[in-house]
Amino acid sequence: MSGVRPLVNATVLVVSITVYQIICNCGYSQEMPTDEIDFSHEVVPVLRRHCAECHTGDQAKGGFSMNDQGLLLRSSSVKVGASGESELIARLTDSDADVRMPPGERPALSAQEIEVLSRWIDQGVPWEAGFRFDGKYYIPSLSLKAAARRDAVPDGRNPIDVIIERDAPAIKDLNKQDLTDSEFYRRASLDLVGLLPDVNHLHDFVSDQGGDKRKVLVDSLLSNSNAYAEHWLSFFNDLFRNDYAGTGFITGGRRQISNWLYQSLISNKPYDVMARELIAPANDDTRGFIDGIRWRGEVSAGQTVEMQFAQSVAQAFLGINLKCASCHDSFIDQWTLDDAYGLAAIYSERPLKLYRCDQEINRVAEPAWLFPALGKIEQGLNREERLKQLAQLVTAPENASFSRSIVNRLWYRMMGRGIVHPLDAMQSEPWSEELLDYLAGYLIDHEYNLQALLRLIANSDAYQSRSVQIQKDVSRGYSFEGPVTRRLTAEQFLDAVWQITESGPVQFDAPIVLGDSDQVDENLHQWSGEWIWGASASNGGIPPAGETLAIRRVIEVPSGLVAAAALVTCDNSYKLFVNGEQVAAGDNWSEPNGISIHSYMKEGKNELVVIATNAGNGPNAAGLFFEAHFDFTDGLRERIVSDASWSVYKNAPTISDGRLGDFLGSWEPATIVDALSVWDQAVKQHGRLAIQRALMQRDVWFRSSLMKNDPLMKALGRPMREQIVSMRPESLTTLEAMNLSNGDAFANILSAGARKLLRRYAGENDKMVVYLYEFAYSRKPSSPELKVAVSYLGETTGEERIADLLWSIFMSPEFLLVR
Amino acid sequence: MGFERDNTASEEVLRRDFLRQIYAASAAAWMSSEPKSLMGSEIKETENSGGALRTEPTADACILLWMGGGMAAPDTFDPKHYIPFRKGLPVREMLSTFPAIDTAVSGLRICQGLERIASVMDRGTLIRSAVQEDLGSILHSRHQYHWHTGYVPPQTVACPHLGSWIAKVLGRRDSVIPPFINIGQRLEGVGESEELKAFTTAGFFGSEYGPMNLPVPMDAAKAVLPPAGMTDRRFSERRNLYKRLLDARESRDQVSDYQTNSILRSIDNAHELLSSKDRHAFDLSREDEGSRRLYGETRFGQGCLLARRLVESGARFVEVTTEYVPFLHWDTHANGHETVARMHRDIDAPIAQLVLDLESRGLLDRTLVVIASEFSRDALIEGVPGSNAADQATEKVEAVSEMKHYGLHRHFTGGTSVALFGGGMKRGFVYGKTADQRPLVAVENPVTIADLHATILTAMGISPQTGFEVEGRPFYVTKDGTGKSVNELFASS
Repeated sequence: MSGVRPLVNATVLVVSITVYQIICNCGYSQEMPTDEIDFSHEVVPVLRRHCAECHTGDQAKGGFSMNDQGLLLRSSSVKVGASGESELIARLTDSDADVRMPPGERPALSAQEIEVLSRWIDQGVPWEAGFRFDGKYYIPSLSLKAAARRDAVPDGRNPIDVIIERDAPAIKDLNKQDLTDSEFYRRASLDLVGLLPDVNHLHDFVSDQGGDKRKVLVDSLLSNSNAYAEHWLSFFNDLFRNDYAGTGFITGGRRQISNWLYQSLISNKPYDVMARELIAPANDDTRGFIDGIRWRGEVSAGQTVEMQFAQSVAQAFLGINLKCASCHDSFIDQWTLDDAYGLAAIYSERPLKLYRCDQEINRVAEPAWLFPALGKIEQGLNREERLKQLAQLVTAPENASFSRSIVNRLWYRMMGRGIVHPLDAMQSEPWSEELLDYLAGYLIDHEYNLQALLRLIANSDAYQSRSVQIQKDVSRGYSFEGPVTRRLTAEQFLDAVWQITESGPVQFDAPIVLGDSDQVDENLHQWSGEWIWGASASNGGIPPAGETLAIRRVIEVPSGLVAAAALVTCDNSYKLFVNGEQVAAGDNWSEPNGISIHSYMKEGKNELVVIATNAGNGPNAAGLFFEAHFDFTDGLRERIVSDASWSVYKNAPTISDGRLGDFLGSWEPATIVDALSVWDQAVKQHGRLAIQRALMQRDVWFRSSLMKNDPLMKALGRPMREQIVSMRPESLTTLEAMNLSNGDAFANILSAGARKLLRRYAGENDKMVVYLYEFAYSRKPSSPELKVAVSYLGETTGEERIADLLWSIFMSPEFLLVR
Repeated sequence: MGFERDNTASEEVLRRDFLRQIYAASAAAWMSSEPKSLMGSEIKETENSGGALRTEPTADACILLWMGGGMAAPDTFDPKHYIPFRKGLPVREMLSTFPAIDTAVSGLRICQGLERIASVMDRGTLIRSAVQEDLGSILHSRHQYHWHTGYVPPQTVACPHLGSWIAKVLGRRDSVIPPFINIGQRLEGVGESEELKAFTTAGFFGSEYGPMNLPVPMDAAKAVLPPAGMTDRRFSERRNLYKRLLDARESRDQVSDYQTNSILRSIDNAHELLSSKDRHAFDLSREDEGSRRLYGETRFGQGCLLARRLVESGARFVEVTTEYVPFLHWDTHANGHETVARMHRDIDAPIAQLVLDLESRGLLDRTLVVIASEFSRDALIEGVPGSNAADQATEKVEAVSEMKHYGLHRHFTGGTSVALFGGGMKRGFVYGKTADQRPLVAVENPVTIADLHATILTAMGISPQTGFEVEGRPFYVTKDGTGKSVNELFASS
């Protein structure tokens, strides 16, 4: 361990290889006089720029090296505490060009730079422990750059823009006028809530004359808490490797955190609170994260649940990859086997023996975490107490890696490339330390409010500038020029396709209680519908098993309808048809379905038909419950409920291809049946949320983030989530393209969408094309595009032609990318 | 105007050259998050490195015939003393439940029921000393993962399947056929499907190198046809519309960027396959009735036929499985003898026919056919002697009292057979040996999974030390780059 010497004014932490931990001597959390020098952020850049080439690394021109503090002090070129008497300053300011440093053609230091070095010497030449100019790895400072917070921001300017203009001169010309309003809407909507802008909203937004309309839009997107939660669920599922099916669940070796995660997102829970609840679970809702995947049989020492804990905590919350160090001291960064085991031992309930490359090395790990300089895990605590302490240490504002890591991930999602990149290598140099630390500080100042950070980013000119494409390997020499064009994730893609085709799944897999219970409309809790059935239930009769009835109501709908949703449940099963077309079906009376029927309604006469079936082996209770709410532009709400005014037809007509056949014969009035108490209870328990959601979303489908992974999503890059994944693949592969070109799943979505569009736009092909372009691309078609599309649809437009047009639109790079 | 599909020969060649180029380009690692080859990077190769990513191949294509579920070597390729069924037979006396038969190789005997394979053993090499690790509790899914990726799960990164490694390093042959095709394994609706999916993947290489899954070979044609209900004509009209709409864009400035081009190339690639003549390789109905019958009407048999057709048309790596479904097929936890007799019938004709067909087409020399399983079985011992593997036999009896007790019902990792045909391997050669008395462990020249993979990779021209940098760490095609090719198996040695 040559070259390691005690340093002045700092603690030394000796780690193996030639890499050392930095301990920041200017704690971020302390208020400090503004003239106190910040070694790593003020001094190091000056020395690097002007001196490092000849006097660090293996260079020691004139016998002078300042690789570390000891070498510098022994060189006598500085007199500690007295810049005026230091040769270093004298040489920098000498008027003789032969004596002055840097020599020759090299530019002299500015007065400000000399002032920094003078102040540094006057303050005792403070140095960050372990820091070496010849260090192989960039090592971020433990705490946030103090200056980043002190920055005075010119009036009204977004600090992101101020910093970028200073740090990334290439972007000096940032001009948000470059990005049209509709382009901005599409980008912001996909980024913040994962959905395409609704066409009507898009029109309103574009024509809005308000000067702060983009800001208002960002606020309104973020305030759509359902959409926000369902979008970011995918990001956090990837990050916390949570899924609804997969290895380990069947054998009980793995637990979900799905509902907790969803609730955390919908309530915008502070991120530090989320982290603490995951690291030190108070109950089983969050235990899945630290418990990892318990594999049957023996696993290597690097994959025990204890080591999985260490890896997951370090990667998810600190952006540190401990995978190498789980097995041996890492060759690629500073982390050691002891570091990994120390973290694992916090979780371990048994004494944890160390293994190097699966060989036991006769030592037992002491519970410890990666940055003891920020606080230590006390000895003698039980596991729960250790986890709590770790949770506090990880989320303390002094721990910069926690806040930096999450802001870097969010920046990546919004901008297409991390400030540190790749995201889980936070020991890599950021392209702007100042920006990273400013954002991290902003998050802390806003009590870890993730939406506040997203809002800040979305409101910056940097975000609202034209996107750029990455042309080549960007691992070196990146400088910010604007948001990088990104590919839609599997979930964004499917959700967008489902939006346009209105054909998403009507049931979902995630074990989540959807909706924000705080937002439930209190007026909805009074149900006035009755349970009804046919004549077999009259006079206390018990309907026979297998009886299938058609139960109908014809209604008159005035103009101005803005939302319509029905709550339906039936003992035992039902199919709901609106104007002859099947809208929904259900066979579990204990979970009433909330169904948006808005898109099926037309002005004037509408026919609601429920095909209801009683199951069982002998006569048993049967009943249908229906209640629909219709909201109008004038704020009025009308209800249609199941009652004696409905008609029953005993012989249900045939159903073919989702459409109802003709009724031949006569109708009789519905019979009101005595509701079983469990029926009423089911409606009371589930009905409010279900119908509220259907009314709010006006969607009959659920988003892909709530679905189990399937071959299509897998092909589109949704990971298996056995490991933490923080970045999705960026390119569309040939197998994916094949899947989208001829796979049945996608073809079925296109057909379903085509059917709906045909019904809505029969005979109005140009209107349909305009609608599709505006929805898919947030722009109108050019006249050549319109011409090509309309001529393809032809005069006798069929579903097939529309499906082909949909495919062509969805496969276009313009659709597949967020620009 | 329809989409042209019958190009002249010279156009076809040009098109293929073009395809190769765009394929390479679309697969280029352009984001720093993609794995980088270690060659030329600052990370040093391991000291036993062959020095190059590519070596001189003895095979251009590989067909892995996967005996999913644990094929008992003593009842297939490594017969021991035959103990016929009798009531009261003590289980500890049971070794092989089939008598041995002669093969085309003098002195080499395999089990009765594999007569057709016996007749082609002179075309192949038989390893009888393959060994697997004892993972404590012997589980199909973990051992299958180990066999297919070279790494014992769990791993901190998603490991690529062997086929994905080959696809990544070698790419496609002179063909539009995807480089990695996986036949016969259903991944939905079967037990342990999540575990199967975990290794049926390109892992960190990304789905460009992932398997094209064809669970039912008889339906394979569908995978390269337009979607159900769409005519070829409509399919090409749709593509035409797509291109015309792209051309009709008002601002075409963005069409030239890298990401857009990459998307367009992938869509082109897909359509090339979906419209090319090569896609007929997927269509078993184009095979005449007689040769279809030679392979047997089972999914495995038809899978072997499909593999042959795909290799003829330029496939790189094809896996055909008897399919792993818990407690079915080779997963003989009970009634082993009768189940294995049926498995013999399922595999005997297709494997032999595949070898003969490849040979008669002049393809066997450059196609490596591998028959392997995740482990072997024994009547008495679970794992290897002294192991702590949990016993998972469902029929635990001391003595055989009825037929369902007769068979090899326990997982065994100490000695397994692997057969290799063609692809530069010796012919009529036997390598390694297991004990004749229990424990039936490999007693000569044990071959680990890493070494077996190294052998397969070497035959394909890939150094076993080939590695990529993943999340900053090196990751090798054989575990930590340690696999060593068994050179004695190669005809040239």
